[in-house]
Amino acid sequence: MSALDFVVLIGSMLGIAGYGIWRTRGRRSLETYLHGDRKTPWFAIGLSVMATQASAITFLSTPGQGYLGGLGFVQIYFGVPLALIIIAVFFLPIFRRLNVYTAYEFLGRRFDGKTRLLGAALFLVQRGLGAGLTIYAPAIVLTTVFGWPLDLTIICSGLLVIIYTVAGGSDAVTVTQKYQIGIIFAGMVTAFCLLVAKLPSGLSFTDTLALAGGFQKLNAVNFSTSIHERYTFWSGLLGGTFLMLSYFGTDQSQVQRYISGASLREGRLGLMFNAVCKIPMQFSILLLGVLIFVFYQFEPPPLFFNPTSTQYLVAHNADEKLRAYEADFNSAHAQARQQLEGWVKARHDGDQSAAAAAFTAASAAHQQGEQIRAAASDEMPAKKTGATANDADYVFITFILHQLPHGVIGLLVAAFFAAALSSKSAELNALGSCTTIDFYRHLIKRDATDAACVIASKCFTAFWGLVAIGFALYAHLAENLIQAVNILGSIFYGVMLGLFVVAFFVRRVGGTAVFWAAVAAQTLVFILYFSLTISYLWYPLIGCAACVLLSLIIQAALGETSKSAPASQVS
Amino acid sequence: MKHPTAAESSESETEATGLPFFHSWKGVYLFVLGSFVFWVALLVALTKYFS
Repeated sequence: MSALDFVVLIGSMLGIAGYGIWRTRGRRSLETYLHGDRKTPWFAIGLSVMATQASAITFLSTPGQGYLGGLGFVQIYFGVPLALIIIAVFFLPIFRRLNVYTAYEFLGRRFDGKTRLLGAALFLVQRGLGAGLTIYAPAIVLTTVFGWPLDLTIICSGLLVIIYTVAGGSDAVTVTQKYQIGIIFAGMVTAFCLLVAKLPSGLSFTDTLALAGGFQKLNAVNFSTSIHERYTFWSGLLGGTFLMLSYFGTDQSQVQRYISGASLREGRLGLMFNAVCKIPMQFSILLLGVLIFVFYQFEPPPLFFNPTSTQYLVAHNADEKLRAYEADFNSAHAQARQQLEGWVKARHDGDQSAAAAAFTAASAAHQQGEQIRAAASDEMPAKKTGATANDADYVFITFILHQLPHGVIGLLVAAFFAAALSSKSAELNALGSCTTIDFYRHLIKRDATDAACVIASKCFTAFWGLVAIGFALYAHLAENLIQAVNILGSIFYGVMLGLFVVAFFVRRVGGTAVFWAAVAAQTLVFILYFSLTISYLWYPLIGCAACVLLSLIIQAALGETSKSAPASQVS
Repeated sequence: MKHPTAAESSESETEATGLPFFHSWKGVYLFVLGSFVFWVALLVALTKYFS
């Protein structure tokens, strides 16, 4: 990175954080600290919900998913529209009517104190771990690429987000997210435009799509009914709806965003904004990865995108076997490129049979190159020691670093950090709020004044920020980063959703039955996760269904009519 | 525990959307589902046509 890149990066990060602190100075009451000033318009809520979900991992790792696996990953988001409509119709009006600070306060009203604490504890465990990943994921990728010290990057970015989130509370999160998502969109659109401009001049739009489709990169929808396939239409629509319903409906980091609206209308429109925009947004990011794949068919790609592997190759240049892998890979790529150039020419000349023959030869050469890459990957020390040297997370950043001009590099690195800080700040704000309201004021000090709660909330926010930094410093991930975050969520979210589904829709079940049902269902999900090989998208559905069914069975066994009020009558 | 304010209690399903083309929430939700169907159809077409 050049001096210009550092100016863009540091200037934007510090500028936004400083503006957030300045804009929210003087927020002293518990209501304004946790809810904001209740004047947030729908567009700001919509951007805030989007920024909270879309972390740096989304923008770093998703193009790599598109490069390696094509558009199929978009199916995970098929559940978003339906889930957000359900939340807008059923969840949001009740959260607003009760004027709760956290979603788990509602469980306390509907059931009892122990169920409220269980819901809050499930949130704190999974979101506390997730917050560590949110800060670790971009740091590991960026420090590997740029050679920055990992620990220092984690600590600096972690402390920055702690400072402005502690200082300004919920409003600081919303205010900064607006500008952070602006930087993210500016960076991604710039990268997209420059990438399109860098594609070979003779390659038309339909040529590009035909080439990507020929390599199976445009297989966006898979109607397979196999539960072992990770991304299918059905796992996305059914499993994805439950995953998204759990995330948006029961995760305090999201609930806190949309209950802070000026009215029910603002919250609903903010959710509908995301329901409409989420699939096209993810499609665009994946398409970016597919276009990078097309770009690298005409430009020599590195044998490995992961710099650690590349550095190993350089350090062991004397190893004839490794040198042979690199030479063979380059040769296979050159052969594939030559055939693809012939394919483009044949297409433009209208010679279908020559085009088909050229593409078949190019596919064979490409396949050969991938086999060489896989064989070379097995020689890497990370593979030999059992760790995974995942290339997907490094594809986009490698492209940025080697193909884009200075200034734009700084803008995109700023976009990654902006994404990390925006989701991180919302998570810390939610963790601090939940610990204060559901544990400190509910269990430890019931007569705490609002002023004491604000101080406690600031302390808990800082505490969770430090926990996240500590977790990030010692985190070692086994899979692609974005999948690791989604898998972690899917293990806990189903049972959390089950608690809320029973609360909203099953009147006869009381607190004791649902509490033990949730404990049993969470145990079941853990057992299934470690013993089955089904797609992780199914676990929210399984956890939710198990919680609802078991609560009905336990309630029947207890043999008593619940005295709890139905959700619609809770007040 | 805080109690709902009068302002929040008055919020209901009949609250106006304030949007130029969608005067009811039902219309907004149908538009969202319609846009979902549009994107899925587009992605299916992309899959079928280019694979």
